[in-house]
Amino acid sequence: MKRILVIVKRDIKSGLRDFLVVYLMLAPILLALILRLFVGGMTASPLRVAVLDDGSAIVSELSRLTHVETFSTREALVERVMRIDDVFGVVVTPEGHELIAHGNEMPGTDIVLRNVLRRLQAGEAVLPVSVGVRDINYGMSPLKLQGGLLLIIFTTVLGGMLILLNLIEEKMSNTISAMNVSPASKGEFIIGKGLLGFATPIVGSTMAVYILGFRDFDIAMFVVSLVSLASISLVVGFLIGVTNDEPISGIAAMKGVYVPVLASVLGAMFLAERWHFVLYWSPFYWGYLSMNAILLGEATWRTIIVNSSIILAITAAVFAALRPRIVRGLR
Amino acid sequence: MITVQGLSHCYKKGGPAAVKDASFEIAKGEVLGFLGPSGAGKSTTQGVLTGLLPLQTGQVNVAGFDMRHPKRELYNLLGVSFEQSNVYAKLTALENLQFYAGLFDVPTEDPMKLLALVGLDHVARKRTGEFSKGMKHRLTFARSLINKPDVWFLDEPTTGLDPAIAHDIKGIIREKNQKGATIFLTTHNMQVADELCHRVAFIVDGEIRLIDSPRNLKLQYGERVVEVEHTADGALKTERMSLSAREDQQRLNHLLEQGTVQTMHTKEATLEEIFIAVTGRGLS
Ligand SMILES: Nc1ncnc2c1ncn2[C@@H]1O[C@H](COP(=O)(O)OP(=O)(O)O)[C@@H](O)[C@H]1O
Ligand SMILES: [Mg+2]
Repeated sequence: MKRILVIVKRDIKSGLRDFLVVYLMLAPILLALILRLFVGGMTASPLRVAVLDDGSAIVSELSRLTHVETFSTREALVERVMRIDDVFGVVVTPEGHELIAHGNEMPGTDIVLRNVLRRLQAGEAVLPVSVGVRDINYGMSPLKLQGGLLLIIFTTVLGGMLILLNLIEEKMSNTISAMNVSPASKGEFIIGKGLLGFATPIVGSTMAVYILGFRDFDIAMFVVSLVSLASISLVVGFLIGVTNDEPISGIAAMKGVYVPVLASVLGAMFLAERWHFVLYWSPFYWGYLSMNAILLGEATWRTIIVNSSIILAITAAVFAALRPRIVRGLR
Repeated sequence: MITVQGLSHCYKKGGPAAVKDASFEIAKGEVLGFLGPSGAGKSTTQGVLTGLLPLQTGQVNVAGFDMRHPKRELYNLLGVSFEQSNVYAKLTALENLQFYAGLFDVPTEDPMKLLALVGLDHVARKRTGEFSKGMKHRLTFARSLINKPDVWFLDEPTTGLDPAIAHDIKGIIREKNQKGATIFLTTHNMQVADELCHRVAFIVDGEIRLIDSPRNLKLQYGERVVEVEHTADGALKTERMSLSAREDQQRLNHLLEQGTVQTMHTKEATLEEIFIAVTGRGLS
């Protein structure tokens, strides 16, 4: 334990004196700040509701909270809802309310709307509700959401990159031989080197999503998903680190890893659901699914645990297959 | 302290052996030197003895630990200095030693004291990236002392250092040995071997040709020679004569009887001359 800390401390000290390492650690934060400028410029589409104008109190309450269009007939209202944009229809019934949706609305919006309506009907305070609505609207901005997700994936890959650079430095200076004739075990060495690769994506991603304005997500689920995603990056970082003897070839190999990673994430974004099975091999696909759900505030522990287990299982399989190569490379 | 039986090492499977069937022992408190030209297999031997290279063939025991599966505790007892210096360029000399000290479970030396010992105390807070080759070498050497090792491995400890510093380094090695450290050192410098080692192993092409003390080697292999200056026909002449060749003995007697001898020195063979005589190879 003492030795692991000694190794981590050295890596931090040395890393902070290395321009490239500092840059890699700051990159997600800088990117998030840039992305925020764009997101800030685009006003998020407000929650829009179409209602039957029956003069009930709920209609006027709703129009205080959000954008409301009124219609005099149910047919006109349904026609409005069926148009391409995100508009929910609300019809007040004696039992409560009926929600008419097209099916193309951003997932989760209906839950908010139901919640708002339920509260309005119960005569609860309305001001706090409007805050909730606005938050969700922010989350709906696709640039912010997808940009945030890509940044998260990016930071986990960066974690692997830091390890790779660190290992290559140890090999180039042959300081790894001095480690190998000290009482530090291979395990302590790997954990010591790996901790930074874990900490970087967790700190970097958390800061990035905060900068982007995400607040209402489950931080525990977020960290669990990050840890599982970071683990696969670490294994890849270690593998490339021990098989390359200088930074240029190491970074070139890392780029080779980016391509399938990005491909699987973009696939998850754009492919139709029925084609998703071609992405099942990629831990980053599962990580993307988890993060997407978490940032939307829709994730359940069940999904997160299943997805994270899949990621860890893939990682374990890759590590088991490559372990001899990694250990040999650490000589 | 160290026993080696039938050690062979190949870098590539089926390739040539860098070390072939080497067997030797090093007693507690002894300094054993591996003397041989570049590429003879000295560093490879040290690599296997320190566990940096896997033990493929043979048995090696260091300080009671079987080197086939060396336990990490062993390294609390060992000090290893490398032929090529290997320190962290972005850390200062002091930080390098402090970091390394943190890896051990045994009491460690004061890093500043070690830096002073090798004449680096004035640059303790300078990053080693700015060091000269010789300074890095001294730091690597100093680092190998951080855990007060019982068994000390030194690969070419004075190579590439200027003579004054090499002299200091030899002094440190002698002193640590007097305090009880067992030392394995490699060198292609016969003077280092002669001055520091209780016994020397001649190694060529991965094979140990002989192991003996420098003194015994000189007695056994060194032809004892006298160099005589004498006057003949009014001029000063110098002649070398073997003390064992019959002809030379007669010639020496003759000169002594004549009374023309001015000076007479016995000359010993150097380890290098013996090395050449035994192995048919030079050291460089
Ligand atoms: N890493 C290596 N891979 C392959 N061959 C090596 C390696 N290191 C040394 N050798 C070869 O092994 C032989 C012995 O080298 P070495 O032990 O370094 O000799 P020395 O230390 O006596 O100069 C040489 O022929 C050298 O070329
Ligand atoms: Mg060598």
